[in-house]
Amino acid sequence: MNTLTTIDELGFAPALQEELLEDTTSDHALLEATRTGDQDAFAELVSRYRNQITSYIYRMTNDYDGAVDLAQETFVRVYRAADRYQRSYAFSTYIYRIATNLAISELRKRKRRKLVSLTGFFQPTDGGEAKELNPPDGRPLQDSELVDTERRNAVQRAISTLPEKYRAPLILRDVDGRSYDEIAKILETSEGTVKSRISRARGFLREKMRAYL
Amino acid sequence: MRKNSCEVIRRELDELMLDDTCSSAAMEHLRECAACSEFHDKQTKLRQMVGGLGTVAAPPDFDFRLRARLAGESNGASIRYWPLARRGLAVAAALIVLAFGVVVIRNVMNRPPETIAVKDQPVVPQPGPKPVESPKPTVNPQEFAAAVPANSPQRIKNERPVPATAKNRHTVVTADFSSERADSINGSLAASTAFPIDASLQSLKVSLDDGRGNARTISVPTITFGSQRMLQGGNQFAAKGVW
Repeated sequence: MNTLTTIDELGFAPALQEELLEDTTSDHALLEATRTGDQDAFAELVSRYRNQITSYIYRMTNDYDGAVDLAQETFVRVYRAADRYQRSYAFSTYIYRIATNLAISELRKRKRRKLVSLTGFFQPTDGGEAKELNPPDGRPLQDSELVDTERRNAVQRAISTLPEKYRAPLILRDVDGRSYDEIAKILETSEGTVKSRISRARGFLREKMRAYL
Repeated sequence: MRKNSCEVIRRELDELMLDDTCSSAAMEHLRECAACSEFHDKQTKLRQMVGGLGTVAAPPDFDFRLRARLAGESNGASIRYWPLARRGLAVAAALIVLAFGVVVIRNVMNRPPETIAVKDQPVVPQPGPKPVESPKPTVNPQEFAAAVPANSPQRIKNERPVPATAKNRHTVVTADFSSERADSINGSLAASTAFPIDASLQSLKVSLDDGRGNARTISVPTITFGSQRMLQGGNQFAAKGVW
């Protein structure tokens, strides 16, 4: 009895072969392999999502080192809970949900510790109108790159002053470009709530970024 | 009407992705409504700015640090579970203290009343070598109970019907007759006959216990003082001290 070593030997149509190959490299398949102890499969998952997750947490917390730590914690949790993972959701939804929970926990911890952040120094605690710490410089800038950098920093600061319930959907929608349905699954809420929160978040941002618009 | 249509159009524009094309109705509305057009421009610019933030890359040593962390966590699994174990121990200790407290409180609540009454009584030393003491005049409780009526107000309130055991041998029972009515002397009776003067209703009995279970009862007979005849109008000429 001959042993089949490649997928070509199975004799499937090329389209079906492609689908099968793709399936073996899907997130679910990689996590399944991780569950059986395949370290390379887990490394592949990490390489797929490390930048997205780090970036998302950084946008949420506005702290790069903390974001890297939390991104690592996200992957540690995925690895530990690989046995309990259910395929009812997309893996990206699953990992983003973990990252969101960790980021929100971190934000609440900071609030409890009353850490004084330079960007949030003028941020009111009651969620009211925040003052801009670094108002735009009216003088003409010499370089368009500097303009872009300054504008990006202003946007990041403005996002970091948003209440956390508005911050997460706004980042997921406008920065990561995710669909309302996926955002609703990540945040475990309804699509209507997500739309409403995104609209409110944009309204807040419009007010804060008035000088740049 | 116009305000409503503005809201609808703005909502539609808000829900679109940046590269999506809006409906023809929305396009037409934007051409006519300057406010909505301005809103759309600002909103688009804002979303471009936010979307332009882009992705921040993870540090190059991200994978290496993650592997080290996973390896460290798998080695230190017991340390990881220590906070949980500590919490469990604290809960167990709290439960033990609570159970102990409940037992103590129940014991105090269910303590028999005799125990409390004994505390009120004088402590009686156990039989043994003790100094010679003068015998106390005691009254046998049974005899005293027979002498005093059950509904008599003179009964001592704290007196309980106790069995005549060796424990109760030293119990001293007293009676107060001060509030009881004295015998009245009827004038007609006094005029005709002599009446006896009696100091006691019955003989006095004293029970003595030597502390080794031997009890002796001394009975004192009723004392009488003879009789006295009442004189009509009294003896005015009698010498002092003579009736």
